[in-house]
Order: sequence, then C-alpha cells, then structure tokens
Amino acid sequence: MSFEPKIIGFLCNWCSYTGADLAGVSRIKSAPNVRIVRTMCSGRVDPAFILKAFQLGADGVVVMGCHLGDCHYQEGNYKTIRRIPFLKRLVKDFGIDPRRLRLEWVSASEGDRFAEVVNEMTEEIRQLGPLKLYVHNERKNGQPAKAEVH
Amino acid sequence: MAFRTYLMVCAGTGCVANQSMKIKDKLEAEIKKQGLQNEVAVVTTGCNGFCAVGPLMVVQPDGIFYQLLKESDIPYLVEEHLLKGRPVKELLYTPPKEKTPVPKMSDIPFFADQTLIVLRNRGLINPENIDEAISRGAYEALAKVLTSMTPDQVIQEIKASGLRGRGGGGFPTGIKWETCKHAPGDVRYVLCNADEGDPGAFMDRSTIESDPHAVLEGMCIGAYAIGSQQGFIYIRNEYPIALERLKIAIKQAREYGLLGQNIFDKGFDFDVRVVRGAGAFVCGESTALMASIEGKPGEPRAKYVHTVEKGLWDKPSCLNNVETWANVPQIITRGAKWFSSIGTGDVSGDAWGGSKGTKVFSLSGKVNNTGLIEVPMGITLRKIIFDIGGGIKDGKKFKAVQTGGPSGGFIPESLIDLPVDYEELTKVGSMMGSGGMVVTDEDNCMVDMAKYFLAFTQAESCGKCIPCREGTKRMLDLLEKITNGEGTEEDLVLLEELSNMVVESSLCALGGSAPNPVLTTLKYFREEYEAHVKEKRCPAHSCRKLITYSIDPHICLEKGHGCDVCRKNCPDGAITGATKQVHAIDVIKCGRCGICHDVCKFDAIFVE
Amino acid sequence: MVTVNIDGTRIEVIEDTTILKAAEKAGIWIPTMCHCEYFEPYGVCRLCSVEVVRGRRSRIVTACNYPVRAGLTINTNSDRVKWIRKVIMELMLSRWPNVKVVKDMADKLGIEKPRFVSLERDEATDACILCGMCVNMCSDVVHANVLGFANTGIQREVVLAFHERSDQCIVCGACVSVCPTGHIKMVVEDYKGKKPEFTLGPKSAISVPSLQAVPRVPVIDTNSCIHFKTGGCEICSSVCEPNAINYDMKDEVVELDVGQILVATGYDIFDASVMAQYGYGALDNVYSSLEFEMMLNSTGPTGGKVLMKNGKEPRSVAILHCIGSRDTNHHPYCSRVCCMYALKFAHLVHDRTDAAIYQFYIDMRAFGKGYEEFYTRLLDEGITMIRGKAAEVVEGTWSDSHERSLMVRCEDTLIGRFREIPVDMVILCNAIESRKDSDIVKRLFSLSKSPDGFFLERHPKLDPTSTTTDGVYIAGCAQGPKDIPDTVAQASSAAARMLSLISKGEVEIDPIRAMVQDEYCSGCRICNNLCPYSAIEFLEDKKISHVNEALCKGCGTCVAACPSSAMTGQGFTDKQILAEIEGLMV
Repeated sequence: MSFEPKIIGFLCNWCSYTGADLAGVSRIKSAPNVRIVRTMCSGRVDPAFILKAFQLGADGVVVMGCHLGDCHYQEGNYKTIRRIPFLKRLVKDFGIDPRRLRLEWVSASEGDRFAEVVNEMTEEIRQLGPLKLYVHNERKNGQPAKAEVH
Repeated sequence: MAFRTYLMVCAGTGCVANQSMKIKDKLEAEIKKQGLQNEVAVVTTGCNGFCAVGPLMVVQPDGIFYQLLKESDIPYLVEEHLLKGRPVKELLYTPPKEKTPVPKMSDIPFFADQTLIVLRNRGLINPENIDEAISRGAYEALAKVLTSMTPDQVIQEIKASGLRGRGGGGFPTGIKWETCKHAPGDVRYVLCNADEGDPGAFMDRSTIESDPHAVLEGMCIGAYAIGSQQGFIYIRNEYPIALERLKIAIKQAREYGLLGQNIFDKGFDFDVRVVRGAGAFVCGESTALMASIEGKPGEPRAKYVHTVEKGLWDKPSCLNNVETWANVPQIITRGAKWFSSIGTGDVSGDAWGGSKGTKVFSLSGKVNNTGLIEVPMGITLRKIIFDIGGGIKDGKKFKAVQTGGPSGGFIPESLIDLPVDYEELTKVGSMMGSGGMVVTDEDNCMVDMAKYFLAFTQAESCGKCIPCREGTKRMLDLLEKITNGEGTEEDLVLLEELSNMVVESSLCALGGSAPNPVLTTLKYFREEYEAHVKEKRCPAHSCRKLITYSIDPHICLEKGHGCDVCRKNCPDGAITGATKQVHAIDVIKCGRCGICHDVCKFDAIFVE
Repeated sequence: MVTVNIDGTRIEVIEDTTILKAAEKAGIWIPTMCHCEYFEPYGVCRLCSVEVVRGRRSRIVTACNYPVRAGLTINTNSDRVKWIRKVIMELMLSRWPNVKVVKDMADKLGIEKPRFVSLERDEATDACILCGMCVNMCSDVVHANVLGFANTGIQREVVLAFHERSDQCIVCGACVSVCPTGHIKMVVEDYKGKKPEFTLGPKSAISVPSLQAVPRVPVIDTNSCIHFKTGGCEICSSVCEPNAINYDMKDEVVELDVGQILVATGYDIFDASVMAQYGYGALDNVYSSLEFEMMLNSTGPTGGKVLMKNGKEPRSVAILHCIGSRDTNHHPYCSRVCCMYALKFAHLVHDRTDAAIYQFYIDMRAFGKGYEEFYTRLLDEGITMIRGKAAEVVEGTWSDSHERSLMVRCEDTLIGRFREIPVDMVILCNAIESRKDSDIVKRLFSLSKSPDGFFLERHPKLDPTSTTTDGVYIAGCAQGPKDIPDTVAQASSAAARMLSLISKGEVEIDPIRAMVQDEYCSGCRICNNLCPYSAIEFLEDKKISHVNEALCKGCGTCVAACPSSAMTGQGFTDKQILAEIEGLMV
C-alpha cells in the first residue's frame, strides 16, 4: 500500500471554505488527504496550530485564504502573508521541509483551484514521504499524544 | 567736434533709390583724398522734399543746394566747392523758364513758399542720431508737459491750437483726446497710424524718415494727456528705411530715459511698440488697423461706438496719424496761439470752425517740381501747383488736381483758386485725405483717371460689405465699358446712382469715399463721359479703344525720309513701309500702344 | 428706457438696444441677410440700412448694430432707404441669380431683374453669398476659429485656413446649420475599421435622455456640447427663459449613511465582435439584441420601423440564439432570457414587416408561465425555426439582381443537412455577462463571485438574496442572468429582508466574537492595532484590552496574534481548534 499523506488544511470561512464547498458541489475530484479545519479568517491561523499539526503527525499543512484585497475582514490575509513565510523558516529549523507548509489563495468561485491545490500538494508530499519528527511523546498504541494546550 | 562744412546728403527713399548712398560713399572717399576729413562732414538726412531732382545734397551752413548728382560729378564738386570755395554752377537748380541757377536753397521757390512745422528738421539732422534731434529741440515739449502741465492743460492747449487729424477725417485732435481720457476703463492706448497706403503719397514715411523723434515725442505727450502707458505705431512693412529709423529712435529714446519707466523722473511710464502692417490699404482705416494690431484680419467694423471708447482690444484708444503726432511737440513748445495763427477760420468757439497749422502734401503727377511740401492751411491750389510746383510739365495745360489719395475727388481748373482746407475741399467733393496731390494735364482722360483710381480702391476693398465689394466692381465694369466705347447713356445714369449708393451705405470710409473720383469727374467733366458714350471718342486721346493712330505721309517722307523707326518698333507689326518710303498704319492690326508716336522724331504720327 | 420714433410709431426701448430689435418690438420688419442673434451684428449685407434723423442731420446707418439713443427718429422705409436696398439686391441678384434666399428677398423687396451684369456670376443654387454667418458662428460662438475669409475685394471667399482640413474643427456643424444657402455641407466620412458608436439614436448635445426619463428634463452631453469643447456657444443659456442652464454643474459624490445596501448593478451584454464569424461590427445590418431593441423602440432612431442601413425594409431576418452563451469558448451558462426575447423580436418583425423570419436555436427554453404558449403562437405565425447553431454570417451577392446581402450558414440538426440561408438582416442574441467593473463592486462590499463572474449569494437555496457581508443584498442580473419577473421577485425579496430588519429595529449578530480573558491579558496592546474594525479598546484603568462585541466580526486575527493567549475567539477558541486538529489526526 502506498503512502497516503495526512494534510491539515486551514481554510478561511468566506473564500476558501466556500471554494472547497463549490468543488464538492461541482463534483470536482480532489484528493481526500486534506483534512479541513474551518477558521473565520486565514488571519486566525495561529502559528501554534500549524506546529501542533506537525507535532501531531501531519505530513503537510496548507493554509488557504481569500485573494489579497478580497478579505472579508479587509486585511486578515495580510497578517497571514506575513506569518507563514516566517513560519516556513522556523519549521526548517525544526527539520521540517518547508514545502510541507503552504499558503494558497482560493476564492469562493475557485472550486477547481481548490482541487488543483489539494491534488498538487498531496502529490508533492507523497514524493517527500512521511514526516519523521522526534516527538517527545511517542505515539503509544497508535494513539496520538495528548496535546498540551492552555 | 565741429566741422567747417556739413554736406547734408538726402537719404530719403527717393534719393536712396537714385543711389544717394553711393554718392555719400564717393563724397567721403573724395574728401579723404583731399585731406578735408577734419573740416568737412557728410551727414545723411531724411527726405529733403524736392524729390524731383534727387539725388540731392545741401551744403551747410551756406545752404547751397545741389541737385541730380552723379558719382562722376563728385571729384570735381569736392575740388571746386570744398577746396576752392566755388559753387559748381552746373549742379545747381535752375527753375524752369529761367536761365540763371539759384544757388541757395532758401531762394528756390519750391522751398521759399513752404512753412515747416512737421518737417522742420528735414535735411538738417541725421535722423538716426538722437543728439542731433535734441539739439534741435526734440523732447523739450515733453519736458515742459511733464514738469509744468497737467494732462487737462495739455488737452486744453491742443484744443486751443485747432489741430485737426491729418490722416484724412480732420477730426479735432483735442476733442478726440478729451473723449478718450474720459472714456471708462483703466487701460488706454495711443496709436500712431503710419500705414500710408495711398499710391504716390509719402508724407508719413518722410516724416518718420527725417524726424522720428517728433512722432515719438508727440505720442508721449498724448499718452500723458489721456493717461495711457502703451503706444503702438502701425507701420507698413514696405517702408524699410522708416521702420529701421523708427526702431533706432525708439532704442535711443529708451536709452535716454525718454521712453519706458518713470520718464523725467515724474512717475510717468510710457513705451511704444512698432507693429508692422502687411500693406493692405484698408488697414489705414482705424478699426481695421486695430483689428490688424490685434492679430485679426484687417477688416473694419461699424464705428457707431467710437474707437476712443472701444478700440484696440475694446479699450479706449486714441489713434492719430504720424503728421498729427509730429505737430504736437511744436504746439506745446511754441504755444497754441502761434499754431492757430497759421491757417484759416476760427477755432476758438467751434473746433470744426477752421483749419489750422500746416499740411504736408506729396505733389506728384504732371507738375514740374514733384516732391514733398509743407504749406500753411488756406494756401490756394494755384500757389501750390504753379509756384511751389513750378507749373505743368512741358508747358501743357492744367486740367485738374486730385487731392486726398485714391479716394479723393478731382478739382477742375475753374476752382484753382480754392483755398486748401478741410471744409473747402469737402465742399467741392474731394477731401484733405492724407495729403496726396496728383496733378493732371490736358493729356489725361478724366474717365480713365477715375477708372485708374477706382481700380485701386476696388482691388484694395477688403470685401467685407456688399456695397464696397460688389458695388465698386460693378462701377469699374461700367467704367471699363465706357472707356471701351461700349457705354450707353443708361450706363452713365447707373454709374452715378451706384456711386451714390456705395457712398451712402458702405461699412467704412474706404467704400464711403472710393466713388469720389467718379463722382467728381462726373460732376466737373461730364462732357468727357458723354463724348465717350455718345460720340465714342476720347477727348484726351488716352482711351486706347477709342483712338486711332495715323501717319501723315507728307511729314513722314519729307521730314523723316521714311526713317522706318516706327515700323521696327511696332510690336503688332501693324506698320507697313520701308526705308525712304511712306509708312502707313493698319488700324485693324494696331494695338494702340503708342510706341510709334513716342519713337517718331518728326511728329509724323497723329492720334485721333 | 428711451423713447424713439420708428416710422412714426413711438416706442420705448432700453437705451443701446439696436434699431433692429427696437423695430421688431414695434412690429416693423427690416430685411437682413447676415444677421443672426447668436453673434455680434456683422453689418455687411447693408440691407438693414435705415435713415436716422437726429436734429437736422439725417444719415444712413445699419439697423443691426446701431444703438438707439433718446429722441432718435428712424425711417425704415423712406425712398432713400428703399433705393439703397434695391441697388444692393440688384447687386446680389446679378451675382447669385439662383440662390433661393437671394431670390426670396428680392421678391419680398419687389425687385425683378437687376440692371447690372456681373462677370462673377455664380449660377449655383447653393452658392456662397459671403454673408459671413458661418465664420462668425465658428469664431464668436463656437470659438473654434476654423473658418475665415481669404482674399480681398471681389475675390473674397470663405475658406479653411490655408485651404487645409483643420484639426481645430470639432465637427459641431454650427456653420452648416447657419448657412442660408446650403453651401456648407456635412460630409460623413467612412471610418474604416471603427465600429460606429452605440447611441440612443439621433440627438443633439442637449436632449432628454429618454422619454421615460425621471425627472423628464434635458441634460447636456458634455462630450458633444460645443461649450465644453471650446468654451463658446452658450446659445442654450441665452434662450432659456428661466435661466435653468448651469454649465458648472458637476458630477458629485454624495455620501450617505445607510444601514443596508442592495447591490443591483445589472449586467453587460457580450461583445459579439470577438466572434468574427458573425460579422458583428464588420458587416452592415448585423445587430446586437440591444441595438435591435432600440430600433424597435418608437422613440428610437428609426421611430420603431425595422429598416436596413440603406433605409429599406428587410425581406428576411435571421435571429441567432446563444451568441456567447452555452458556448465553452465564452460563457458556458445559459443566459435564460434570449429565447423569449428572440420570439418577441420575431413577433414584432412579423407584425411590422413582411419579412421572412428564421430562428437559429440550440434548444427552445420557453420555461416560464405562458412562455410555451407564446412559442406555439409564434410557430402559428409562420416563423421558421431551424434547430442548429448558426456557424457564420457572410456577405455576398446571392441573387441575379447583384444586390449584396447577408447569408447565414448552419447545420440544421433536424434534417441533418448543412444549410445556407440568404437574409437581409441578422440579429444576434448576445449573452448576458457580469459587468466589467464587477470586481470593483465585489471588493467594495466584500462580496464573492461565482465562477460565471456573477455575485455569489450566501446560499443558493436558503438565502438567495443576501451575501456573505451582513446588510448587503443582491438582486437581478448582478446575481445571475434572469428575466424581468425573476428580477422583480428577487428584488422584492431583498427589499422585504431589508425592511424586516428595519422594522425590527435591532440586528442579530453571529455569536462568533473575540473575547479577552482579563486575567491573562498583559496589556501589551498588540491586538489594538491589528483589528480592522477598531473593535478593541484599551482600558486605561485596568491596563488591559477589551473587545467591543458589537463591532467585532470574529475574524480572529487578534486571537492568532495574542502572545499571552488572552484573546480567544468564541466558537473558534484555541482549544476547540486544537481539538479539531487532534481529531483530524486520528
């Protein structure tokens, strides 16, 4: 059985989530590997979430938001565009290939683009192979370590 | 540096055209050759006036007048007169019908009967040197005005003098200034009309060429009186010498502080701009002139609102002729009383009551002494033509004189004792105009003369209004028809009616006066018209279609022995014959050019 | 006011009015041939010459420009005046014997035959009579200064400067309209390769935009108005009695405070010229649906008549469906309204002409109430329905008469044959597409667009009129192609939604909000500047930040940024999201 990457997708409620919805409604085939977390805005995506996702064994993380200038909250995606590149450098230091973290703009009308991004990323991660991280809390009996959060 | 003798060489346009500048160069070279360069100076002056005998020169301070100079005469003249002190008799002026020459300029009748106000500096100063003008009193009047007179006093003085516009209309200058001064508006212009378009008239040109500072000073005084700060001189581009001298004069006056800011330190600013006209006759009309200065086509407009109220750029504008302006400084310097003592009538009550001062005329045509003259108002035509003018050329019979330029009327011999002033000339159907005076003799056909002048005004009509554009053309057609011997009596009636209509209804003075030559000739020489129409004959033997040339066989053979000159010269090949044979003219082939008549030394050819 | 005496009639007029105007007031006619009230009197024809008596002096003046003064006596009909007019008319008549205005004036003044023979005689009926009206119009009124006079005297003529075409000419036609003889003509030049502008029919620079305009007042088209080109003219304001014309009026931006907005920005029609096979913009008599609609309008360019460019009625008309719609190269969607208006066109063409009508369709979609019945009725009227999308429209000579006309090529799928049908006129049913500036509107209101380019509703079934932005609604073709009943229904629904909110007086907001946990907040104030809605304020007394819940939209930007995790997003707390991630990783 081939490797099926697990990818966490943070999707903004107004554009990308709707776009994903459209992809579904439009019956556009996309890889099932992306597991979606809906946030109100891509600006809500705390870098800690992404790191946590990697810690918990995600092979890739994709953040999707509205196109620049289209943000429902005016400028939330500008915050995102500052955070993610910064985070990419950070994950590199953790030994994570920065290609495993992606930021993509998908608008509500771009169901096809959503599918395209998902398929492309899935394929890329598949090439990269599973993410191997030394995690303090080893998975025990297939159970993920309990996330320690405040 | 003072010199013993000054040679005043005329550098007016006429004399320059006759190579007076070469004479001047030759004189200078010759003087140097004789080692007289520290004793004798050569000065080029403005037009002397006696253009008929140019190139001419006056030796000052003696006042010896030399005429018709040639380059080859110069070495002898310098040696004889300047070295040995003997005037050269052959080069002196000899009046017609007399034998002894008149050496002194002041004794020559042409000069003796003139009164010089405007042209007082002619032949005495170098117009390109402001110092010489100042030494003759230029800008004295301006100083007087700025230091001791109020603008109103200036206007009063001009009004009292009785000066009237010399450009043709004869409008009282003082009243014009006063109206302009009181017209509402903050910007006013003074304008000088130097667009002298009349053929054969050159008063304004000569005035500027001989004494440009008089004009500038006059404008300055006028500007002070009416409260203007900008003047324009509208001058024909065909007057290159006048234009050049005017520019030099303005430059020098500016350098001396006589134009520009704060003149005489009295807080009065005034400057003059020269505008060149392209030579349209109609641009001498005030509104057309202003339109032309504004950069629009030079076409007149209705003057029901006068230009003194709405003129250049709709601002109050005071337009006067060159001669009028040149009179002003003299009136201020010598007083209104002096000025009004010259001339006719009484202007103390009514500004229109008389003609005061002098008038410059350009005398031309069939008169011996053609040239520029300045005479007091009220002088008779007889005095002008026969005394100053020296009578008719070749002893022919005087017929008529046309005054006032191409749109002036003809005055017949019966009115020869008419005093020349505004009212008298207007009364007989002519006008003062700008001062042209064309003398005709018995050889001139009056119909042809009228046609000649009408052809000029017709061609110069701007074409704006129908009466002038269409009317003058139809008049010309009728005259053409009459001189071709195709006219009928109805044509005469129609011509007169059309002439009157054009006078009455034209837009500007050009159309309003263009028919004058026709109307006056119809009035005084109707029999000539009738001869053309009824008898198909030209009494003056001038209209080509109505004359025939014939050769008297006896004279031809007996006196001329069949010289054959006429046959050789005939352009139409109309003359038959051979040497030592009788010649004859084929009337069908003959083009009536008159060359045979002119070349026949034996007067064998007759015109009928 | 001064009193003047005109032909024995005493009349009071304002000082400095012209004699011509005073005479008009007195009911006295004075002939003129160069006068026009739009510019300063020119005074060249001299026909208006009148005799003015002032004291003992009497003189001839022109009435058009002579200002009246008190006590003036004016004779407009004295023998002297009549004589001058007669001679002038004779001069004119001898030069321009066939010009109508000259002949008419001569008739009026009782002149039969001129006594003059003119050598410059111009026999043309539209000869230039040098009245100068065109020149004055061009310089004084239009301020374009294109026309002028050349030459002097009898050679005078009206010319363009240097006899050359001038770029200064704004083609306003003022000279043409003022020319009394028709000497100046407007020449329509063939602008090759340029599509004629789509206009609302013939109109002047000042017109009522349409007869249905509200308010029904004229407006000035600043693109064609002379005043806006050269600063001149102003004739309209001089004739407008209530002084209602204001050239300085500008488009202005009005700011209104509103609580709700309905976006009903409509649609554009598909530009068929990109589909070269249909010849739109290149061939004559190929019209877009809107252009044809304009032609059918009784206030339109042809007054409602169906006419070809040559002014003739067409003998056959083809109506081509689905131009740009249902076409994967352009718009895959169906524009919904075309089938029905195509049927309407067919009905009206049938009604107004004898033309044969062909409909080229893919499917007939007569889905609404009464639509199918209309379709059946049309079939009974005898129009020809051809199932098959037209392939191309070409021009050529198709008959023995060598007359050029159009031809439509298509495959008739019902008979399975390729067909060529000659027609005189082709009407294209252009697709409805989203407006070209819809992206600007989208940004302005934070809307989303569906892939077809139209604005996206919040939910296609449950909420078809509201949008993802609270208080912003959409209706009509801005949301998607629809016909008038559907648009009215959607707009009414949107209006009802808005009204319900107004009548309620309060707004329900989503519970998704950010919240500060006071005990964790360090008062660093990072979140204060991040908030796009300025919903976070800093409480000076407690030295902590506080979220104004009415302003907060719940985007969570502040939550993500808070270094001490004091900020939480309700419904999207860190805990919830992390749990979600954890759950996803199973």
